[in-house]
Amino acid sequence: MTRNSHLQATAIGGPADADLRLVGRLASGDLDAAGELYDRHAGKVLALARRILRDQGDAEDVVQEVFSQAWRTATRFEPERGTVAAWLLMIARTRAIDRLRARRSRPDTTGDVLLDRMPGHTEPASDMLIASEQYARVRQGLVALPAEQRTALELAYFEGLSQSEIAERLAAPLGTIKTRIRTALTTLRRSLRP
Amino acid sequence: MTMDRHDTIGAMLDEYALGQLSQDERRDVETHVRECDVCATDLRELTIVMEGLAPDAVTPPPALRQRVLSSLATQPQDPPRISDDAKVVTLPPKGARIRRGVHSGWLAAAALVILAFGAALYFSTASRRLLIEDVQEAQETAADLQRRLDQYAGQADLAVSILTASDMQPIAMAGRENATASTARAYWSPTRGLLIVADQLPMPPPGRIYQVWVIGGATPVSAGLLGEQGSGRGMLIAPPPTGVPGGTVTVAVTDEPPGGLASPTGSIRLAGSL
Repeated sequence: MTRNSHLQATAIGGPADADLRLVGRLASGDLDAAGELYDRHAGKVLALARRILRDQGDAEDVVQEVFSQAWRTATRFEPERGTVAAWLLMIARTRAIDRLRARRSRPDTTGDVLLDRMPGHTEPASDMLIASEQYARVRQGLVALPAEQRTALELAYFEGLSQSEIAERLAAPLGTIKTRIRTALTTLRRSLRP
Repeated sequence: MTMDRHDTIGAMLDEYALGQLSQDERRDVETHVRECDVCATDLRELTIVMEGLAPDAVTPPPALRQRVLSSLATQPQDPPRISDDAKVVTLPPKGARIRRGVHSGWLAAAALVILAFGAALYFSTASRRLLIEDVQEAQETAADLQRRLDQYAGQADLAVSILTASDMQPIAMAGRENATASTARAYWSPTRGLLIVADQLPMPPPGRIYQVWVIGGATPVSAGLLGEQGSGRGMLIAPPPTGVPGGTVTVAVTDEPPGGLASPTGSIRLAGSL
């Protein structure tokens, strides 16, 4: 059962391979590699953190935390678990959602006030990072999802809510929320195939 | 792996990808995914979906780069958990064992005092939580090491059984298209399976992976995905795919979408026949 367990993140092609080499250099304490990795991914990490936190300062702090964690744990990066980009974005999502939860538990939060003033998903794409065809398909697929599926998925992805929390937020049965998210993800996975 | 377990874990993959599982549940998923191709493929696709959901990149303020990089210079890095080229631990020869005697007894007592003092200090601070985390991490490392050992042992066993099978026949494979510089060799045993090693293989086209096919009859049958070993080396060790009739076979490698397909659609990059 382990015949393709070595299949690496290189499925995406050249850029992923270059990322793997950078993480290898990072693991050996090469600060130049950290700079290159930053140049390749900071824009995407910042965008995700900003989309979750809706606050530029907090999002920049998350960027710093992401690259610190990547620096510390590069020695333990396991390519078979996913791409370097996915790894960095996963750290970013976790860190940003941790902050969001901490903010939610503080009554004096200013997040809601900032929400409408921050640039969100309508911001034009930067040319810093070339979105692959597959990402474009996921994005198109997301827009095409039925609203109730998209909302449930976005609450899980961008706000880090558990399925029970989403059910509560949307006043819907837990089973319904599970189905919505599963259907949404199945549709998006299907959209990866040309 | 039981089907029950496969189904249970399969139903948890969405939540895993969305970061909604507890640490124990995450570990269960990670253990299973290492052993199950189907779930590994599903999770890889979900990972691409997760990446795709992230918004487009924005331009970070120039000062942030300096701030991030200068903070790294002072941070230590974690020691590697384990790696494929894991360091060999050399045990001292038996004769080198420390002789127990009066001196070593005093040394041991002194060491105990120091340890006790250190431990008291350690526990008296907020470091206790760190210690627990360290222990958990050590346990994870041990479990991880065991999983990898099992995995490599299984692969090595299969490779040996293929290479030593009485019906094993080597097949020289030739590169095609952009892979003409590649050298590859397949070892096919209808009863034990297929071992294929390719060198100087170019990177697959963006968004594609290499899939291996065994063609015995009219229909090519997938043998699995060619694992990237770095530096253009690809390898697959797989049991014999079902549905390959006996007799002459052709082994071919094509590029396909992530996760592979049931029948080939991409260009043939390597091929060879008995």
